[in-house]
Amino acid sequence: MLTIGYGSMTGPRRLSSDLDALLPRVARGENDAFAALYDLTKTRVYGLVVRVLRDPGYSEETTQEIYLEVWRSASDYNPAKGSALAWLLTMAHRRAVDRVRAEQAGSRRESRYGAANIDPAGGPAGDTVADSAVAGDERRRVLACLEALTAAQRECIDLAYYGGLTYAEVSQRLATNLSTIKSRMRDALRGLRNCLDVS
Amino acid sequence: MTEPTDFELLELATPYALHAMSEAEQTELDRRVAGAPAPVAAAFAEEVRTVREAMALVSATTAAEPPAHLRAATLALAKPDRRSRWRTAALASAAAAIVVGGAAFGVGVLMRPHPTQTVAEQIMTAPDVRTVSRPLANGTATVMFSRDRNAGVLVMNNVPPPAPGTVYQMWLIGSTGPTSAGTMGTAAVTPSTTHMFNDLGSSKALAFTVEPGNGSPQPTSAILAELPLS
Repeated sequence: MLTIGYGSMTGPRRLSSDLDALLPRVARGENDAFAALYDLTKTRVYGLVVRVLRDPGYSEETTQEIYLEVWRSASDYNPAKGSALAWLLTMAHRRAVDRVRAEQAGSRRESRYGAANIDPAGGPAGDTVADSAVAGDERRRVLACLEALTAAQRECIDLAYYGGLTYAEVSQRLATNLSTIKSRMRDALRGLRNCLDVS
Repeated sequence: MTEPTDFELLELATPYALHAMSEAEQTELDRRVAGAPAPVAAAFAEEVRTVREAMALVSATTAAEPPAHLRAATLALAKPDRRSRWRTAALASAAAAIVVGGAAFGVGVLMRPHPTQTVAEQIMTAPDVRTVSRPLANGTATVMFSRDRNAGVLVMNNVPPPAPGTVYQMWLIGSTGPTSAGTMGTAAVTPSTTHMFNDLGSSKALAFTVEPGNGSPQPTSAILAELPLS
């Protein structure tokens, strides 16, 4: 059985320990540490943001807001509560979702965001992902875990996590009752966590 | 013991961790978790943590190279706080901005009282004037305020306009929460934008959010910048 995660992969584990070392320096206002942090995480952050926002201009603005928040709140990071990478990407996702909802509150929602659909074999990152062997290998393994989910589970995660819909909106969109949607989300994440060997 | 409501609470940990709930739902859930028995709250936090760790790994599948110019623009945001040198520069730039805005007076005027002072002049010549500056988007928001005058003047330099269909909304944060202090739409934001606050009351900070349409009764998005008024 294919399992991956912090225990068996050097990629995310090393990235997170590098970030652990950089964040206290960023908190002290060291510009070179901030630059190093940007270089280490830019493809993760920008890639997630552009996947949610689907607009390069908004994505650049939001990415800047995220790094500004990192610069200002690096001292809030507490390693006891999770990895540095998860801290950063949680912040990034929060801002991307806030932005997409602000845009959706306007009139463009259905045309721009209604057609979100999961494509684990080749998302927009397909040809732009960092082209290193480690990144490629890691990406393939994570994709295998996504593919191991049911189509219904992937659809839920896609609509909520990348589409910025609330679970109630996912329920409406799929004309499926709320408790089923909640179960699908929970089961999807359990499956992912097991497959990714998240502890 | 886990009550049915505790189960329901834990079931919501996944959508919570994925930001798949409205602001109101999230606030309500935060409140319920805070009031839940310690083991339930701990189980909720652990579920949220592992979901977020998993999605951090999943970000490998969406990685994409940002445009090269974003690096310099982003790193430029990380400015050390140069408060000591700030005040002179801020006063000069505020004066320049206000001249552009139509209330023409020179820096020299700031240095002495004047019988027909504008509110901005009154603030900047007040003995208790203070200046606070914070990054906002790609630019800087500076507020000069006087508690004696119960007023402040905001100067935004090089802040990009909000996206079409949204406004910057300003909030005075008091002990009872945020109160709207006005909005700025796309057309209102120029390279040097000024805005007056005529009633600071007992507010502790001035905050900025991006809000849809013409603004919101309460903030609906994360605070972009917060300037302490103390």
